[in-house]
Amino acid sequence: MHWRACLVILSLGAVFACRPAPAADIMPPIDERFAAAIEAAKNAPDFRRHVVPLLGRLGCNGRACHGSFQGQGGFQLSLFGYDFKADHANLLGGDEPRTNLADPAASLILAKPLEEIPHEGGTRLTRGSWQHRVLLDWIAKGAEPATSDAAFERLEVEPTEIVATTQGDTQQLRAAAVWSDGTREDVTPLCRFQSNNDEVATIDEMGRVMVAGPGDTHVVVFYDNGVVPVPVLLPVSDRLCSRYPATPTPTRIDALVTDKLRKLGIVQSELCTDAEFLRRVSLDLTGTLPTAAEVEAFLADTRPDKRDRMIDALLDSPGYAAWWATKFCDWTGNNRERNQNNGPDNRTLATAAWYEWLRTRIAANVPYNEIVEGIVLARSRGDDESYREYCERMSGYQQGDFVASFAEQPSLPYFWSRRGFQTPQERALGFAYTFLGVRIQCAECHKHPFDQWTKDDFARFQNFFMRVRFGEAPDAKGEAAAMLSDLCIDPDLRGGDRDKEVAKLLEAGMVVPYRETFVVPPPKPPAPTKPAKDGRPKQNKQLIVGRTATVLGGEEHVIGDLADPRAVLMEWMLADDNPYFARAIVNRVWAAYFNVGIVEPPDDLSLANPPSNAPLLDYLADEFRRHDYDLKWLHREIVTSRTYQTSWRTNDTNRLDERNFSRAVPRRMPAEVVLDAIRTATASDAEAASMAASSSGRAVAESTAVGWGKSGQYALAVFGRSARESNCDCDRSAEPSLLQTVFLRNDRDMLAQVNRKEGWVDGIAAPYDAAAKQAAQRAAKGRPQALATVALPTEIDIAAIVHQAYLRTLSRPPSPTEVAKAQTYFAEATSVREATSDLLWALLNTKEFSLNH
Amino acid sequence: MTIHRTCDGVRRRDMLRIGAIGGTAVTLANHLAWAEGDSHAPSPAQAAIFVNLGGGPSHLDTFDPKPEAPEEYRGEFQAVATNVSGVRIAEHLPKLAACADRYAILRGVSHTLAAHELGSSYVHTGNRPIASLQFPAFGSVTTRELPGPAELPSFVAVPETKHGAGYLGVRYAAFATNATPRKGQPFAVRGISLDGNVSLAHVDRRHALLRDLDTTFCEMASDSQLVDGLDAFSHQAHTIITSRKARQAFDVSKEEPTFADPFGDTAFGQSCLLATRLVEAGVRFVTINFNGWDTHADNFTKLRDTLLPALDRGLATMLLGLEQKGLLASTAVLVTGEFGRTPKVNPRAGRDHYPRAMTMLMAGGGIRGGQVIGESDDKGQGPKHEGIRPDDVAASFYRCLGIDHRKEYLTATGRPVMIVRDGEPIPALFR
Repeated sequence: MHWRACLVILSLGAVFACRPAPAADIMPPIDERFAAAIEAAKNAPDFRRHVVPLLGRLGCNGRACHGSFQGQGGFQLSLFGYDFKADHANLLGGDEPRTNLADPAASLILAKPLEEIPHEGGTRLTRGSWQHRVLLDWIAKGAEPATSDAAFERLEVEPTEIVATTQGDTQQLRAAAVWSDGTREDVTPLCRFQSNNDEVATIDEMGRVMVAGPGDTHVVVFYDNGVVPVPVLLPVSDRLCSRYPATPTPTRIDALVTDKLRKLGIVQSELCTDAEFLRRVSLDLTGTLPTAAEVEAFLADTRPDKRDRMIDALLDSPGYAAWWATKFCDWTGNNRERNQNNGPDNRTLATAAWYEWLRTRIAANVPYNEIVEGIVLARSRGDDESYREYCERMSGYQQGDFVASFAEQPSLPYFWSRRGFQTPQERALGFAYTFLGVRIQCAECHKHPFDQWTKDDFARFQNFFMRVRFGEAPDAKGEAAAMLSDLCIDPDLRGGDRDKEVAKLLEAGMVVPYRETFVVPPPKPPAPTKPAKDGRPKQNKQLIVGRTATVLGGEEHVIGDLADPRAVLMEWMLADDNPYFARAIVNRVWAAYFNVGIVEPPDDLSLANPPSNAPLLDYLADEFRRHDYDLKWLHREIVTSRTYQTSWRTNDTNRLDERNFSRAVPRRMPAEVVLDAIRTATASDAEAASMAASSSGRAVAESTAVGWGKSGQYALAVFGRSARESNCDCDRSAEPSLLQTVFLRNDRDMLAQVNRKEGWVDGIAAPYDAAAKQAAQRAAKGRPQALATVALPTEIDIAAIVHQAYLRTLSRPPSPTEVAKAQTYFAEATSVREATSDLLWALLNTKEFSLNH
Repeated sequence: MTIHRTCDGVRRRDMLRIGAIGGTAVTLANHLAWAEGDSHAPSPAQAAIFVNLGGGPSHLDTFDPKPEAPEEYRGEFQAVATNVSGVRIAEHLPKLAACADRYAILRGVSHTLAAHELGSSYVHTGNRPIASLQFPAFGSVTTRELPGPAELPSFVAVPETKHGAGYLGVRYAAFATNATPRKGQPFAVRGISLDGNVSLAHVDRRHALLRDLDTTFCEMASDSQLVDGLDAFSHQAHTIITSRKARQAFDVSKEEPTFADPFGDTAFGQSCLLATRLVEAGVRFVTINFNGWDTHADNFTKLRDTLLPALDRGLATMLLGLEQKGLLASTAVLVTGEFGRTPKVNPRAGRDHYPRAMTMLMAGGGIRGGQVIGESDDKGQGPKHEGIRPDDVAASFYRCLGIDHRKEYLTATGRPVMIVRDGEPIPALFR
């Protein structure tokens, strides 16, 4: 396929350019330098610059080979090759050294991959190849650990963008490493390459990109600690530049989205209907299905700004705070099974209090940075509060309305006291996930394969969390035991038995001990070491940990004498140039509205996973900061855009687009929202109105799902409610499953909702049932004709029922065809109750109901 | 919880470092023969039943009695002979003693997680729990590897299981019956069985109405996996709900009384009957949850009066029932709690959590019955030799089903993880 490209694109595209002439100061690539005999190469290979990346290219340090944590065949390399010291030691040392300095050509590191002697990994090297020469030359020249102490500075890749015109286009990438001593070297033959979407572009191991299909993605180049993504784009249609249709861009978001679509030749869908808008924005912004009455009122509203008015109203509704507090609970890890009892049992209470703490703040539109500060710097005790005062306060809470009282205190210590978040490693992982949207898991054990993080970065970051503890603070040692003893609690009682006793005392109005989240005071400076008796200075065996810590990708801080090292993290996150803090939250919020994030998955901000629209992400993050982290501003900015309000109906150019926001992408409602929606749709008008007016008892309000009874938890699990246990947004699942379909069709709880007493079906059917009963009685008395018709609805009645059923489920009026189909069904049914129930059931089972579209 | 050491999920055990596993010496030769001997392996099982003894049963008072140990260890029960010479189990398991040739006892199974949730997660998945990943239960992996017939759920939990599909995603989660059948009474499961008041004709009519009205996204079906998938589920759900086979599979009252009666009138016995029936109908995996084994106090009373009689009758009858229906050879059975219990009896005549020594049973699916594998020390305080690890049991269980436990899955975050990260099948089970 040939698309006509316009001038702008041609000027960007370096598509057919061959290898650019090397700049004067750049060292040619190693494959050229070692193409002939070794003697021809002037510079010896360097271990870090050449040998390790070459071993990576040959596959030696892969996970299934010597990069395995046990090594392989007695030889181990660091996974993804970044532990140069250990790799060098392993190559030279051990029982069976891989290098033979006396007879370099006989080195195992050559003989094995050449398969001159048996090698489980097969043949990896060809005799006489440049790779072979490089390894041989390095050994022959002494197998030095380094030829220079220059640090790696950056990786530069050309071209910086590939805009193709034709499927099958190819483009060679060239990568240059820049070192702190000013040397630049073409390292293309030593890089690792990856495509983020093989359907758009493939890249081979020589760095040759082949454009495989329309769309856009990135190819990524890895070398040393450098990770450089290069966008690749092939327009989807010929509607480019002047041929691109006029598209309204009422907001900055629209302009930025359209900038990208214009390059791709993707035309945005039309604006969605008012009914679609109301349903979508209610579900997304407030987790709430609009009631039939709300739909009718909105459709009847003729004011031109009714959409904006509706957005304002929804932001002030209880559903907004409830639903987003639930989302925040996902991100912060509010998991009942992991929450620790601060006092006598109540994990359930702790979970509810955590939710309420967030909900009250979101309802009051407390700036995001302040909410986060309350979590990051949380301690159980207030300033100057003694342990006993703390216990008095908590006992008092628990004797009153614990949840409401807890929500008023300034911080959320439960974030720090949960299980699975106690070691510095766990906290480093969880903290990066929650507040930075960064996955550093890999770097705990090895160089991160898709990002800049090294083991060292991880270790330095986790130091921030060393002194934050949960349990008994040093200034309150023994006080809890003393309190228990004063309360005459058997000191041998443990666990649940003790909690039961303590709970009884609490109920009787006593003050009971609580565990607490606290920060260990800074350690005293180490005493000067005294010489030992034999005159040699004594070794300080106690390793002092946590005296310094380093923020991710930033500076090292002395934290040893800080009262709370977490304050440094907070300050770093709020700095204008912090690359993660604001981006992480705006991206997550965006993802909730558009099915995918600008960075997708939304909790994986990493170099190898760049945003699909970087200017858009930057705009949102910058403006969010400039608006003082105003969450309602962020929501309003997004949902007032035309981009958010486009139809799900596709055109030829955007039917496959799910990443550039050219249309609404239908997606299953989240678990809590589905449950509430079913309840609203099946409720009487009065009950539906009261559900809209309050979040209490609803599933979006921290999954209490009162109306569903006990098995609400079952339904929530079936629909993929977040498990909140693995530091991943993927803990929540919007995947459909057979189990969900079976549930919607035939589960007793589901059918009970449809047919519940005083529900909508019951309300419609009751008068007809009564009339039918009466008619039957009269018929028994011999007067059948007179009243039989009263028990049957007229066509007009049926049309009204159908109309209402559609409004309360699909949030739109039915089409004439749909009315006709339903009327036929009513005509064949045995009773109005059965027909109404079946109609509501059928609508709840349509895709249009369970998908937010 | 400990942080995982191997973040990329690979830890292959050194092939040469094979010593005695339990009391059974494994030579390198037969290990290698086993490793290469797939062609001689028995044909894999088609189904599996996992019996979870929730709370952690005392090993000393069930399948690992220590009659020679001091009184404060051996407890109140006597050991009795079984129909396998030299194998003795606790006296309150007479029916199981009479069919000990049908199952293998694993003694000296050992791990270190003494909390219910963690221990349970370990034995339900074969992977030591880690913070960053939720491992899928046996049933989830099995149904992913061996999909079952369309008109039945593949993985059923009776009445439920705490262990989900983990990183495999909710579609592989267990279908929970949420109730246990009662003896002789019709049994229906939520979602699957039609309400008694609804006729099949009515359900078909209703389904037709739905199909008539569910037209909004038709035009997208070819472009959207979501729309396409929902349509497929819709069809399958209707098939299951209206299938006689599905309904009958769950209804234990349809079973002949001569077959059903011996299972006993307990929730566990009826669960075993249901499991047998489901496997016969084609369900791939059944988990039976039998709680109440957390006997911190009154261990002996609780075991003697309720727990052991129910276990004895239900389990023995299930093994014999499967055999009678010709299903035992093709059904792998694993019975375990999350840990054993302290060998020394506590002052409340109870025993506390004790993961260092526990017992498991395996039967069917190519397992050679009538043997004891492994051994605990003379007071049941730990394995006498190298202990059997839950990881190895899991690898063996998957082997019964012909599933390669070393197969790698990618998690939602793209992380490669082996089904069982650190285990190898126990050869002696299959000889």
